[in-house]
Amino acid sequence: MTQLIDYLLGGLGSGMIIALMALALVLTWRATRVVNFAQVGQAMFTTFVALTIQTLTGSWLVALVAAIIAGALLGVIVQYLVLRPVRRMDTSGAIIATFGVLIALQAAAGMIWGGDSQAYPQPFGNTALTVFGREWPVSAYDLVVVGFGVVLVVGLTLLFTRTDLGLAMRATAFNPEVARLSGVRVSRTLTIGWALAGIVGAVAGVLVAPTSAISPNSFDILLVFAFTAAVIGGLDSLVGAVSVGIFTGLVLSVVSGYSDSSNAPVVALFLLALNLALKPEGIFGHSKARAV
Amino acid sequence: MRDLMRLPGARLVLHAAIAIGAWLALTWVNGAVDPLMNYYIALVAMYATAMFGMVILVGLSGQVSLGNGALMAVGGYVFALTTLNWQTIPFTVIPMNGIWAMLFAAVGGVLFGLLIGVLGARLSGPYLAGLTLGIAVGIPAIANRFPELLGGETGLQLTVPYPDGGYAPVVEEVDQQFVEELPTGQDELPTGQDPLASDGSGDLLTSDNFPSGDASVAPDDLLTSDNFPSGDASVAPDDLLTSDNFPSGDASVAPDDLLTSDNFPSATPDASALPLDPGSTDVSGVDVSGVDVGFVLERWQASLAVAVACIVGFLALNLVRGRQGRAWRAVRDDPVAAAVSGISPARSKVSAFVVSSLFAALAGAVFAQILAYVGPGAFGLGLSLSLLVGIVLGGRSSLVGAVIGAVLLVWLPEFVLSLSNDRGWEEQVTNNAPNLIYGLLVVLVVLVAPGGIVGTLQALVGKVVRRARKAG
Repeated sequence: MTQLIDYLLGGLGSGMIIALMALALVLTWRATRVVNFAQVGQAMFTTFVALTIQTLTGSWLVALVAAIIAGALLGVIVQYLVLRPVRRMDTSGAIIATFGVLIALQAAAGMIWGGDSQAYPQPFGNTALTVFGREWPVSAYDLVVVGFGVVLVVGLTLLFTRTDLGLAMRATAFNPEVARLSGVRVSRTLTIGWALAGIVGAVAGVLVAPTSAISPNSFDILLVFAFTAAVIGGLDSLVGAVSVGIFTGLVLSVVSGYSDSSNAPVVALFLLALNLALKPEGIFGHSKARAV
Repeated sequence: MRDLMRLPGARLVLHAAIAIGAWLALTWVNGAVDPLMNYYIALVAMYATAMFGMVILVGLSGQVSLGNGALMAVGGYVFALTTLNWQTIPFTVIPMNGIWAMLFAAVGGVLFGLLIGVLGARLSGPYLAGLTLGIAVGIPAIANRFPELLGGETGLQLTVPYPDGGYAPVVEEVDQQFVEELPTGQDELPTGQDPLASDGSGDLLTSDNFPSGDASVAPDDLLTSDNFPSGDASVAPDDLLTSDNFPSGDASVAPDDLLTSDNFPSATPDASALPLDPGSTDVSGVDVSGVDVGFVLERWQASLAVAVACIVGFLALNLVRGRQGRAWRAVRDDPVAAAVSGISPARSKVSAFVVSSLFAALAGAVFAQILAYVGPGAFGLGLSLSLLVGIVLGGRSSLVGAVIGAVLLVWLPEFVLSLSNDRGWEEQVTNNAPNLIYGLLVVLVVLVAPGGIVGTLQALVGKVVRRARKAG
């Protein structure tokens, strides 16, 4: 039993990172109705930017800020150049285009920073904390990760529920045409949504990098986990993405703990397939009538 | 001509003529070029085989799938496991050979395709893409789950089943060029992908269970074209695999010409069968002039890949240009209208999956023989993305486009490499340039010319013809 609790606690940090990446996917989906498979590519790229800044300045925080700025910029650029023109075309085209962006970003990162895995400096202690005379499978860094996640989620929730901008964003996601008629500046609202998605992804990237290493395709598997979480959460639901994201992290941690970490992708795949087979619209999503 | 095509079976005959013509032409070319070119032909044919399936799945049926690389892994692993572990077909006395192994690979592919198709037929757009993305990442990871059976990170070495009369020189070097052209391969070696893949799970991973030790093993054992054994380069063009003595027929590469249990890879190769041994007069690697030319592994691999591509191409032609092709297109364009016309959308989508995974599995079995190796790195997400890139550039719903895409996938990295040799680019620039070009081209094609090369050419020709008619 204590072992189970340990595994669950150990999954908190990675769960929060999956939740953030899923959140980025959902934000883009709400803004453009395109699943941005390049989101992890953007996060990988901004994390490399952060690593460069970190090496130059030696400050973890400055690097994080750089990643956030780069993430917002890259988010807006990708959306303007690719996703916005492509969303009026067939769905296949839009999906393929995002994978094109992913391939190009990974290649560009490989060109600039090389293809080898590079270590990302640990800003805080990564050893297990000892509280009440017992060693817990949680490090100071895990707490930082969870803290950042909570701040972001709370901030976004406040933004969406308590501000005019949030109201405009929700209206735009619900129905762009009606929102426009009600005086919402849809195009500006969408741009902010894309920038937000880029920022959330960038933060997730910087947070996950020290626990592993960073290379052009080291986030591929994170894409699978985040997509799983976003879809099970309902793709449309911010609450769903975050809660299912954390849940996914916990499940994967337990699976890795009791068996082997190489099982994690297979389990995620199983969860995704199960969800798509039983409840394709997700737990927090609204069911849509099927045409045929 | 138009009346002639209305005759029953005329289309079948035409398609057979196209396939056989292509096979004859390529077999002739194969016999006339050097082994390095044979290797490229083999790769192009292998890609084309898999991409015929992608055309049906993505282009005609409208289901964007990233899982076909994983389905190739299914084909490759089934091929490897059956050739490595079975001397005879279980419960019978029929000796195993390459053909049987490929048939088993095909069956494995069909079963997997059925499974994914039934799951995927209910899904559309991003959901399907995401599910197949998970499959592309998840299935190769299964190899790590069963290290004893599937070889884990290291993968499985296999000796290519070869025809009687020669023994493949054992070449044990990584094929750097091939590695480079996998879109997400970057400049890592094939198996570099999976240790990294675990990174996403972040702190789930502990240093004890991290499979880093294996990562550096497999790549060195792959087949190369760079450091190709110099002895083979001098081989006379007309040796044992020219059209004269190529196993007659296309599909009917006669079982005895392939591997039998006597000369099965596990057995020590007979010294007299080695190609460079002057005493090997009893093998068929002796041309008319009596000069010992031996057996060229690349030529055999290319012949095999071309034969499979032509058979698959023939099947694909019949499907695409027949009733089934119309059904796929109808469901893609308007599922409701298709259902009203008596076409079951679900059945149509599943059948597209099954056909494409059959083709993918055959391509995977060929790929295993080209690399003489199967491993999770070789069949990773990069391979799936390559297939997608190929058909998008060539033309999403055109079989000719698939062939053009396959040529592009093989040619562009070589072109970039030669440019880089001239200009003295850094290695990491050279290695990543092809993928950067692919990625940008894919975005550009989707935005500007969704029909790819073939679709754009067709549109241009149509415009010219219409203008000519107006003028005339």
